[in-house]
Amino acid sequence: MNTGRRVALLVLLGSIVVVPVARAQVKHIEMRVEGMT
Amino acid sequence: MKQHLGRQAGVQTVEVSLLDGKVDVIPKEDGQIDPAQLLKATHDSGVTAAEMDITARGKIVKDSSGSLALQVEPNRSFAFAPNELSKGLESLAGTQTVVTVRGQLYKKPAGKKKADLSAPLKLLILEVQKKE
Repeated sequence: MNTGRRVALLVLLGSIVVVPVARAQVKHIEMRVEGMT
Repeated sequence: MKQHLGRQAGVQTVEVSLLDGKVDVIPKEDGQIDPAQLLKATHDSGVTAAEMDITARGKIVKDSSGSLALQVEPNRSFAFAPNELSKGLESLAGTQTVVTVRGQLYKKPAGKKKADLSAPLKLLILEVQKKE
């Protein structure tokens, strides 16, 4: 495999790994409620 | 209530603790969860939400009125209730920095029996956990 292809593959793999980690999202919600039986 | 909340869009799991009146909601990663809708669903199930805290990750943006907000989805952001912690994030507005914060999105007004769920939710930052 030539160097160009290796670099392209590394960038592709890196983006697959990095993007989900940096994804914006609501991670957790905690509520305190009253009147629950 | 657990089933009612579990049916809301974007909800993965709901854990209810009867002992201390705590409800933990783990959202799916599809970004569909709407805290305002959860509050309404809680109210509709016959219980009163006293407080709602969220942990969210997103970018700091300035909305049309110039106030700071945390953008968690392209079409969803939470305006900050100004405090020292939100002021500390002002320099990150418009940058690519992703921050993780924990904050209070809703608190039932003291002395009121009936909650006002129509008011826009503001995020009072309690903790800045991470800047990436």
